[in-house]
Order: sequence, then structure tokens, then C-alpha cells
Amino acid sequence: MSNSIVIRLPSKKRLNAQVPLSSNSFLITPGSVITEDADYMRGHGTYTNDDEEDHKLYASVAGVVERINKLVCVRALKTRYNGEVGDIVVGRIKEVQQKRWKVETNSRLDSVLHLSSVNLPGGELRRRSAADELTMREYLKEGDLISAEVQQVHTDGMLSLHTRSLKYGKLGQGCCVTVSPSLIKRRKNHVHNLSCGVTIILANNGYIWINSTAVDGTKTTGDGGFVVDTEPVQMDDREAICRVRNCILCLSRSSVMLYDTSVLYAYEASLQYQVKELLLDEIATEIVDQTLSLLERESSGNG
Amino acid sequence: MLKSKTLMVKTRSGKILKIVREHYLRDDIDNGLLTDKLDLHPLLQNDLVPHEHFLVLDTNVILHQMDVIEHPCIKNVIILQTVLREVRHRSSPVYKRLSSILENPDKKFFVFTNEHCIETWTARKRKESSNDLNDRLIRIATKYYSDCLSDRNQQAVLLTNDEANCAFAVEEGLIAYTAEKYVKSVVGHPELLDKLAKVNEAIEVDRSISYPEHLKLSQLNSGIKTGRFKQGKLNISRENYLEGKILCPDVKGGEILIQGRLNLNRAVHEDIVAVELASEEEWSAPSDVMLDVSIQPGAEISDSVDKKVVSNAHRVPSGKIVGIIKRSWRPYCGILENYGTPGMTRHLFTPAERRIPRIRIETRQFKTLIGQRIVVAIDCWPKHSKYPQGHFVRSLGEIGDKETENEVLLLEHDVSHAPFSQAVLNCLPSPNWAIPEEELRKREDLRGFPICSVDPPGCTDIDDCLHFIDLNDGSGAVEVGVHIADVSHFIRPSTPIDEEAKCRGTTVYLCDKRIDMVPALLSSNLCSLRDDGDRLAFSCIWKMSLDAKILQTRFCKSVIRSKASLTYAQAQMMIDDPAKTDNVTVGLRGLNKLAKILKSRRILNGALSLASPEVRFHVDSETHDPIDLQTKELRDTNSMVEEFMLLANCSVAEHIQQEFPECAVLRKHPGPPPSNFDVLINAAKTKQLDLNTSTSRELAVSLDNAEKPQPGVNLYISTLLRILATRCMLQAVYFCSGLESDFKHYGLAAPIYTHFTSPIRRYSDIMVHRLLAASIGADVTFSELLDKQEIQKICNNLNFRHRMAQYAQRASVALHTQLFFRGKLVDEKGYIIFVRKNAVQVLIPKYGLEGTVFLDRDCEGNAMTMNNLNYVEQDCKIFVGSIALQVFDEVVVQISHDASNIQHQRINLKLVKPNLPGISSVPSES
Amino acid sequence: MAGLELLSDQGYRIDGRKPDELRRIRCKLGVFTQADGSAYIEQGNTKVLAAIYGPREADQNMRNQICHDKCFLNCEYTQATFSTAERKHRSRGDRKGQDMSTHIKQTFEATIQTSLYPRSQIDIYLQVLQADGSNYCACINAASLALIDAGIAMKDYVCACSASLTKGKPVIDINHVEESSDCAELSVAILPKLGQIVYSELNGRLHANELPDVIDAVVRGCKDLFVVMDRTVREHLEETATTFTHS
Repeated sequence: MSNSIVIRLPSKKRLNAQVPLSSNSFLITPGSVITEDADYMRGHGTYTNDDEEDHKLYASVAGVVERINKLVCVRALKTRYNGEVGDIVVGRIKEVQQKRWKVETNSRLDSVLHLSSVNLPGGELRRRSAADELTMREYLKEGDLISAEVQQVHTDGMLSLHTRSLKYGKLGQGCCVTVSPSLIKRRKNHVHNLSCGVTIILANNGYIWINSTAVDGTKTTGDGGFVVDTEPVQMDDREAICRVRNCILCLSRSSVMLYDTSVLYAYEASLQYQVKELLLDEIATEIVDQTLSLLERESSGNG
Repeated sequence: MLKSKTLMVKTRSGKILKIVREHYLRDDIDNGLLTDKLDLHPLLQNDLVPHEHFLVLDTNVILHQMDVIEHPCIKNVIILQTVLREVRHRSSPVYKRLSSILENPDKKFFVFTNEHCIETWTARKRKESSNDLNDRLIRIATKYYSDCLSDRNQQAVLLTNDEANCAFAVEEGLIAYTAEKYVKSVVGHPELLDKLAKVNEAIEVDRSISYPEHLKLSQLNSGIKTGRFKQGKLNISRENYLEGKILCPDVKGGEILIQGRLNLNRAVHEDIVAVELASEEEWSAPSDVMLDVSIQPGAEISDSVDKKVVSNAHRVPSGKIVGIIKRSWRPYCGILENYGTPGMTRHLFTPAERRIPRIRIETRQFKTLIGQRIVVAIDCWPKHSKYPQGHFVRSLGEIGDKETENEVLLLEHDVSHAPFSQAVLNCLPSPNWAIPEEELRKREDLRGFPICSVDPPGCTDIDDCLHFIDLNDGSGAVEVGVHIADVSHFIRPSTPIDEEAKCRGTTVYLCDKRIDMVPALLSSNLCSLRDDGDRLAFSCIWKMSLDAKILQTRFCKSVIRSKASLTYAQAQMMIDDPAKTDNVTVGLRGLNKLAKILKSRRILNGALSLASPEVRFHVDSETHDPIDLQTKELRDTNSMVEEFMLLANCSVAEHIQQEFPECAVLRKHPGPPPSNFDVLINAAKTKQLDLNTSTSRELAVSLDNAEKPQPGVNLYISTLLRILATRCMLQAVYFCSGLESDFKHYGLAAPIYTHFTSPIRRYSDIMVHRLLAASIGADVTFSELLDKQEIQKICNNLNFRHRMAQYAQRASVALHTQLFFRGKLVDEKGYIIFVRKNAVQVLIPKYGLEGTVFLDRDCEGNAMTMNNLNYVEQDCKIFVGSIALQVFDEVVVQISHDASNIQHQRINLKLVKPNLPGISSVPSES
Repeated sequence: MAGLELLSDQGYRIDGRKPDELRRIRCKLGVFTQADGSAYIEQGNTKVLAAIYGPREADQNMRNQICHDKCFLNCEYTQATFSTAERKHRSRGDRKGQDMSTHIKQTFEATIQTSLYPRSQIDIYLQVLQADGSNYCACINAASLALIDAGIAMKDYVCACSASLTKGKPVIDINHVEESSDCAELSVAILPKLGQIVYSELNGRLHANELPDVIDAVVRGCKDLFVVMDRTVREHLEETATTFTHS
């Protein structure tokens, strides 16, 4: 037992190999002038002074300047989740209200899931009755995790969610990892069945759900996704889940973008170590390095 | 720039405090070797050190050998930050002297910030005391300097008084000497040797006397905390140098008496001491004996101050000194006693201040110094030495020479009288300065007003003028203006001239000399409101009704042209001459009338009119020796000017207190505690006069009553009573209004008072001018002006300077009285004002002279047994045999100048009438 | 003569700095993983941790403070029991802490673009680990870095610095020893790039004539601080941004 605890002094973060930033994206800090040209449109993370004389565009956050045609944005490296319609999110039920649930999704305001936006047991076309309102807590109660899709973004930034697909619904046994939303790479598909028997949901809001593919497969249509399997998960599966979780943590610590390939490469790189060793600094670095070189080889191969 | 930290853990009052302070080490600190702050080639030659060398001084050398260090031949000295801090902490007078050396570029003293230099810093070792650490720091810095200097074939020499430190330094390969050894080998300056303080060795070992050991400071502190010891400033009696007391509020009477040499235990006047209270049966009473050292030079007065029968009633808390908390030694003026052998090097020195013991010094210049006034500093007082030991500092000049004697009294009263420095003179405008146009436009033009000044004859620093105009507007109102020299226009804040004036505080008037606060160009010309041209003034103008009620007050900066500079006598003549009807005369008459109303109203309010014998010397214009003297005469015009000055001061005080409630400079006069009046009441009772002293008003009334002629009471008695009453009063003091709540002026019976009218000779008035100017928008404020702590600090200094100036003035009068009586023998009428156990004090009104007539000595001044004296304290009476002497008795005394003892020349008083057998002298021929 | 000499005639302060020198500054962003933004700063021996939570759904207890057009700030200042020479338990609601919280809150209300975050709440938690003078300034600087780390939109950095006046000379970034002497203490927070003063507080009395000098000195101090802070932020950005742009 005595050697199972590792205490270390904080070490300076290893600087990653400097990759030159492209010409129209560079780093900026708040209050700096991005451009003095009045023609640009101001996007997120920028502001202008009300002063008539002053046409300068200033940055309001620290991050990367991005220009798309005439639109200038500054993307902060770490922020809360800014939802977009169609995004997949993983969230936690925070409150059960009349006809709707409040869901915590790492965005500025809590998201809402209307009773009308969920599939209730007994078929898609069933009418919502007053009885349903009373039994809302039976479907989803405080603390439950769900996966959902963003249906609408309100003007004040609040998100409306829906789970009207078999893909979405209550999440059962598995593991949730929180990373910065900006590390999730936007892809067509955010749910991946990895070859190791693990399914991951790389939700856009930075909440990552990891569970065993086998469990996932048992979901039936009849219960509307509100009943979860409580059968014990196999040891092998549990270890695989842990390994994936640790790999994701390693990558996120080194700010590596997360998508199926990067997670898979990291998983492969980690196989030579025990699960519990993965978060040690040297090993984590080693895994990240291997992942990066694999990714690089792939992209150069493609190119 | 490199940085590092030290950790310090301190404990205080039982609680554990962890104090962490940063300590930055730098590599950019100037060591002075490459700049002109130190000479490239230091030149002081010393037999011990063949090379050119710089000196590094240890703290103890600076603390003890300041007189050597101040000698102009000691140059090129490196003062370490460590040392400077320690000196500052240990002795503020030495620190001040060191600071003034550091400011002098000729001395080539350089301060090296060694503790922040990366090369000379070191951390405290485990269990190392802070003294050892400091010593080590000093050695490291010396080492650093010798390394730096080795390329130039020069050396750094460490001077220390600490043998151990010296030995360590030598061990580490440094050149180190004790200060004594070094000074003895200095080439070409033998006079340095006399200035050397001998701290470690006793000059005189007298086994017959052994003072008790002083306790350690830590023991004293814990003793004081538990209440076993009392702390206080030792105040030696003026009459008896073997008796002193400390103020201590928690014992009966508020004072602890310390009697006798052993009980005083080597404490010197004004030292802060710790006293152990004796048990009640050992208490004694203050002796009423006048103990006068000079009467029997050399002879020792028996230490057994008669402990005989002290009635219980007179016993006061007594104690003995167990340790010294802080010495407040300063250099003392005095003379060498000449009973020593000229060939010897050890001599006794008698200070001019009676309260200081004689000092043992070593000098080789006895022959030149005998007969001179010299300055001596105390170094230490070893256990087996009857006297403290010290060293010679400098000589002032021949005894009896008026210049020398003036110098002595200025030095003894800490009056700075050196000529103004160049920096100060540079602040002056040119002598033919004229009022610039721009200034004229800013000010009110009062040049057409009938303004005049009234002053004593010969006055050159005229700071006040008056005017009076009948407004003729039907209301019967008149306009009265007081115009005060606008000194603050010339003395701007924070300039050298301002600093100098702030430090001097006041102009000091000696009988034949004036020590100016500001240079003469200002005091006697530009700021003096003479009748020879336009002057800048600060005016206070009232609209008054004819019964002297103030209707309106106005302050302004102005330009005036005085129409006449009058003396009191001239002004009086003009008023009295009905033929004169010019503006000025009419104005004077109006002022005079108003002044009388003001005065009577003031007295009705309870203002005291007190008296003190004041005399004025007629001085021979060539020899400057006094040839005659007269008491001051009082005319209406004196009090006329005074009334308006008081009125102006009150108006200004009210105004600035309103405008600056937190930081106004005011003057208050606290009412004396009732016990102060006991002597006065007792004395008055002997003449069946009842004085009521409960309020100033009642006192004034009862003093006035005493003036009415009564059978068996001589006419001079009311004056005598007033003189005695004056002595019961406390000192009036300046203070900052933000720090006190009681503003009352007892003597003037004014609710609020300040000084506004004499800015040429008082710094307080300059401060008041600045405040007033700021309040009317004529000038701007600045930070020191509004900082109440700072103001209080200045006020404290001013109070001290004023007191000292007063003492110096009195001393000067005494000196001149002596000169006047040189070679004369006069019989004169006098009055007894105090009766003591073995003497009476007599006041001679004609000369304003006060002296002691001893009743226990014969007419030759030899001590007699005093068994036929019978002292009755209650009645202020003493019986000599069958003849009674009582307070206020008229006597005739013979005044002579006693030069038999060149050391202490004095005025001798001998009783002529009543004739006491064996004591009285025969009447002189004249 | 009593008391310490804050500035020697040779121009050095008690700790060896010159009047216009700051203490050593060390700072770090992103020290907590749970918080949305966090930072740690050392200014000499004054050490402060800052954590930012939000913008997030307003706490139900704070309902009365919710605005529909902007977010509100919630600021909590605490000082550790071991932060001063004497161990002393400080309850959360003590006056000094509340005052400090209010001052810090006011400072940032002027700087954060609160209208971008309607109906939200931003929590700023400040913990002083060691107090050695200029606590307010260190807190502002730490919070400023933490807000940048949290990606919250601000007009500019906020840099704060304190100053005092001794022997007629302005001294900046005053430490505890200097603070506890009776000199006046001026704390100023500025937006360094825009050159605006957003907060200033004067403890003690300072004459109007001397104020401009002190303000000049303190603004210079803030700008020096800004250089260090900006460098830290850029280093932090580079550290996290390099792999970020890999995609």
C-alpha cells in the first residue's frame, strides 16, 4: 500500500513543439487592437468602442484570432459551451419543472428539455397527458445523465434540447469525463463504437460519455430509453472503459483535439502500460507523443 | 538584479508571530569607490598603515568617538548601512551629528548599503546574536572593500572598539585596529588625542567609592512591567546637585525623590532612569538647604545629607536609581579646576550647568586651557570613579570675555547661532528687491492709509503697524487695521531658509545681541515695516463700533507704506500734544481710546496682569559693557499696541481654527494646578491678604485688591505678589488643534489664541500666516501644513526653543548684571521673596536682581554652624537668633561682584539691614 | 527618530528595492481543473489564489440580483488563518473581507462585458494565502488573470498597484511594513492598454499637490505589472494553443 501513493512537486508543463500559426490566425490578449480597419465585421470575442472616431476592433478574450472573409472572431481556448443547433450534448438533470426538465450542460445557462421533446414509452405518436406531467420524475429525475441534441438556441443563449431519436436518452452504466468544449472536434458523428468494445459519446459540450458497447446494444425501443440496464458489467469491459477514460484525460491535459482517431491512437499507445499507470506524468507524455506522431503520419499520408 | 528572502521569527508579548520579510539583494549598488564621494587617493597618514587607506567604522566607534570623527582630518570613511541603522537606533543625537557629516561633501563620508549588496550580505547563523551578525556583516564588508581596493594598492581599515571583533577581523586577514590605537598613530594631529573618549579604561580608580552595579536593561524592563521599578527622567534640583526627582504619577505627590550620591548612582541630569522605591520608613524630605558647589571648590560636601529629624509630614516618596534606561549626555560647557598640577594629564572639569557633576578628563593642554571656557563630553562613569569621565571637545575662549560668555550661554541653551549657511542665503531676494508689478496687482493697495508703527526705541525688526480711520458713515463705526510683515511671502515652504527658521524657531534677544531667526536682510529690511517705502503686509482689518465691538473682520494680503515709525515715547507725545491734528495722530488717539476699552473688558473677563522685574541695560557703545541699567517703563502706548496685537491674534486664531479645525497652530495656556499657588497664598497671608486663586478672574480681582493701600503694608507688595503669581503659572505652549480639545488661554482669559503678529521673530507666526493665506485663497496649502502630527512635532520644537530662548535671555541678563557690578560695591533696598531653611532670597527691584543671602555663612562666605536658625515654614519666617526675617520684609543688602573664584564669578549679596551679628556686613561707604 | 526609516538617504527601501521597483511577481494560469478559470499570483510575499466559476445559471438564492440584460458578479474574498504573522481566524463575513469583496466586485463590473451574459452569474473566489501588503492589488491581478483563463469577455486586463509617499517620494507596490507605517496608501486599478483608471482608493491623507506624482508612479507600476501578466497569459496561450491548432 505504501508505494501506491505518488506525491510530486508541480512541474513546469512541457512546451509542445511550436507549430507556426497560420497567417490569418494568431494569438491575442484582451484589450489589444485586432485591426484598425473599419471594414471588418465584428464577431465573438471582439468589441468596438462607442466612440465615433474610434474604428478599431479590440479583443475581449485571450485566444486565437480567426478571420472568415470579413468576419473577425477571437476564439478563447477555454470557455463554457456555446451551443449550436444539431450539436450532441451530454447533460445532467438539475431540476424537474412543470412540463420540462432543467439540464446542466456546461453552458452559460441551464438548458431545457421539454416534455414534448422526448419519446415517451409507448410509441412516438402518443399524446402527452396530464398524467405524464405528474410522472415526469419517473422518467428522468435529478442527477440523471442524458444524451440529447440541441434543438434550438434562444437569444439569451439558453438551449432547448430533444431526445427524439433512439440514439439519445438516459445514460446508464458508464463513465463521464469532463473536458473543455473546445477540445471536441466537430464531426459528422460524435458517437463512436471503438474496436475495444467501448462506446464513447464525444458530446460537443465537453462531457464525454464512455460505456460498454455490449450494454448499449441491449437498448430496446419500447421503453423510450428511460430504463437502463443494471446488470453488472464485465471486468474486461470495466477495464477498457477506464483505459479509454485515462487516455482521454491524457489527451485533454495536453490539449490534443478529441475525435475517434485520436482517442483510438491513444488507446493503442496505452496498451503497453497498466491502466493505473496512465496518468503518471511521464507515461501520459509518452502516450500523447505517440498519438501525435501517429496522427501526423496519418495526415501527411493523406496529404 | 537578484532577489532573495530572509525569514525571521519573532515573539512578542507571549504570542508567537511569524514575521516574514523580503530582502532583495542587488548587484547594482554603488560602493563609492568610482565616484567622487570618496577621494581616489585618501591622504590621512598613520604610522600603523603605510598605504593609502579608507576607514570602515564599527558602530561603537561612532557612538563613542564622535568628536574624533568630526575632526576635519578624518576623511574618506565608509559608513555601512548596518552601522548607520544601529547608530540611529541607539542614539539620536549621535545620528544627527553623523547625518550632518554625511551631508558635508568635504568630509568624504560615504554610506554603503551593504545589506542589500549581493556580495556583502550574509544570512544569520543558527543561534547567532544580532550583535554578532552585525559584526560579521561589518567584517564581510571590510573584506569586500579590501578586495576591491587591492588592485589600486589601497586598503580598507576597520576601526572598532570591540576587542573581540578586532581579533576576529585580524584572524580573517583584515586590517583592524581599535580606535584608540589608530588615533594615537595619526601623523600630524596631536590634538586628536584629547578628543579620544576612553570608554574601556577608568582614568581614576577610587576604591573609597563603589557605586552599586546598574541592572541590565532586560531586568529593568521586566521590573518596570511588574511595577517594581519606576521609569522617569531624572531632574536634578537646581539648588542641590545631589538631589533629584523623577515624575511618577502613581505615587503620592507624583514625584519620587532621590537623594545622595549613591542613590543617584551615576545618573546625570535628564537621563531616563529606573528607580526603586524605598520602603516608607526610609523616605526622606527634600532638603531646603542650598548646596552650592562653587563656594568651596575642590572640597567635598559631605554625602550625609542630614538625615536627622525629618518630620513625618515632610516625607515624600524616595528611592534609589537601579539602572539607566537612556543616557542623554551632551557636550557641556565649563571650566577646568585649577587646583590640579599643571604637569599632570588628569584634571577635573566643572560644568557651567549646576546640575551636572564635575567631569574627570585627560588633557595635555592644561596650561592653555586653564582660564578658558571649554566644552567637554562625558564618555562613561565607571563603578569606582567618583566622577564621570570624559574628553575635551573644544575651547570657547577666555573666561570673563563677553564673547566667550555669550557663546557659553548660547551653547548651554542649545541656541543655534552659527551664521546662516550659503544655502539659506541663496534663498534671499536681492538687497534692492522691489515689489514686482504682478505682486502689486494681487494685493490690496493700502499705501494711502495712515499707517504707523509703534515700537521700543532702537527696534529694527518692526513686524507690526496699525491704522485707524473714522468711517464717517453715520453708524459711528470705525476701521482699525493691524498690518503684519508678510514674511511668508519670502520664506517659501521646504526651502533651506524655511528649514533653518523652523529649526531656530524664534529670534533670541540677549542684552547686547540678537540671534536672528531669519537673515538680517529680511528681519531688518524687506520685512521690517519701516517708514521708508512700500512693504508687503498681511492685514487684519476690523470694522468696529466706538465701544470697541468687532462688527466685521477681514484678512487680506496688502501693500502698505508706513507713515511713521514711532517709539512708545514719541507716540505718547503725539497723543498728548493737542496741537497735532494730522491723520496719524488722530488715528493714534482713536486707537488709544479703543485700546483702553478693550483692556478693561479683557481684565473684566479675568485676564491677569502679572509682573516680572525687567531691566534694560545701557551699553557702552565701544566696549559693549553695560554702564547703567533701568527698569522698563510702561506707557499707555505700550499697552495700546499690545491690545491690538492680542485682538488680531484672537481673531486669527478663531478664523484658522474654523477653516482648519484639524491642523490650526494655536497657543494655549493651561491653568495652573491649585497646589502651585500654595507658596503665594502663604506669603500673602503673612500680610493678612487673602488671595482667591480658584479662577483667573478671582485671582486678578484679589491681586487688584492687594493694590489698595493698607496699614503696615508697603506699596511695592502688590508688585511682589504679581511677581510671585507669575512664578506659579505654567508655560504657555503651541499645539496643533487637531490633537487637543482644550484651547483656553488662562493668562489672557481668551477661549482661543494664537501668534500671528511677529512672523519676523517667531516661526509659529509664519505657520499661522500660511494657514491664514491658504484660507483666504492667497496661497496654496502643502502637505506638511495639513499634517497634524507634523505640526505637533514643529510645535514641540518651538515650545522647546522658546523656553530655551527665555532661559538664555535670563542668563544674559545675569551675565550683564555681573559685568555691571564688576568692581562696584552698592547697598540697595530689597525685599525677601522666599524664605528657606538656611537662606533667604532677596529681590532688588532697582536692578531686577534676585539673589540668595545665606544665613549659615559669615560675611566672608565661610560656613557656620546653623544652630541658631529657626525656620517656620508656615509663616515663611526664619529666626536668626532673635531677629526674624519674613517674606516681603524690606531689607538692605550689599551687592558686590565676587571674582575671587575665577571659575564661577558671581554676584554676592550680604545682608546689611537688619544687622545680624556675624552674618551681616558693614554698610559700604557709598 | 523612532520608527523605521522607510526610504534610506541612499534611495533604498527597507527590503532593498528602489522607490519605483515592484516586488518579484510570479503568476500562473489554470491552477484548478474544476473551476472555469483560475490563477495564482505572488507579489513578493503576498500570495493569492483566484478561482472563477461561470458564467453560469444564477443561483436560486441570488434570484433578486438576476438581471435580464447582463450577468451579475459574486465576489468572495477570504484570508487564510495563517496568512498573517499572527494566526487569526477570520470569519467569512468580517467587515474587512466584505469591503474588499465589494471593492473587487466594483472594479470588475467596470471591465467585464456583462451584457454578453444575460441572466447569468459569475463567481470570483479569492483566497489570500499570505498577506504582505497590497492585498487588494494582488487580488485584482489574480482575478484578472483567472477571468482571462475562463475566457470571459473583458475590455482589457485590469492591473492594480499600490503606492505611498515617504520623504516626498512616491514608493510603489508597498509591502506590509510600509503599509503599517502611518503613510497614506493609494491603490489604483487601471486598464493598461486603454489607459483608464477604473478604481482608486486612498487610505490616509495625501496633499493634493502630491497626488499627481503618486498617481503617475502607481500607473507606471501598473504598466510594469501588465507586462509581466501579459507575458504569462501569452505563454499560457501558446502552451495550450499549439496542439489545439493541430486539427
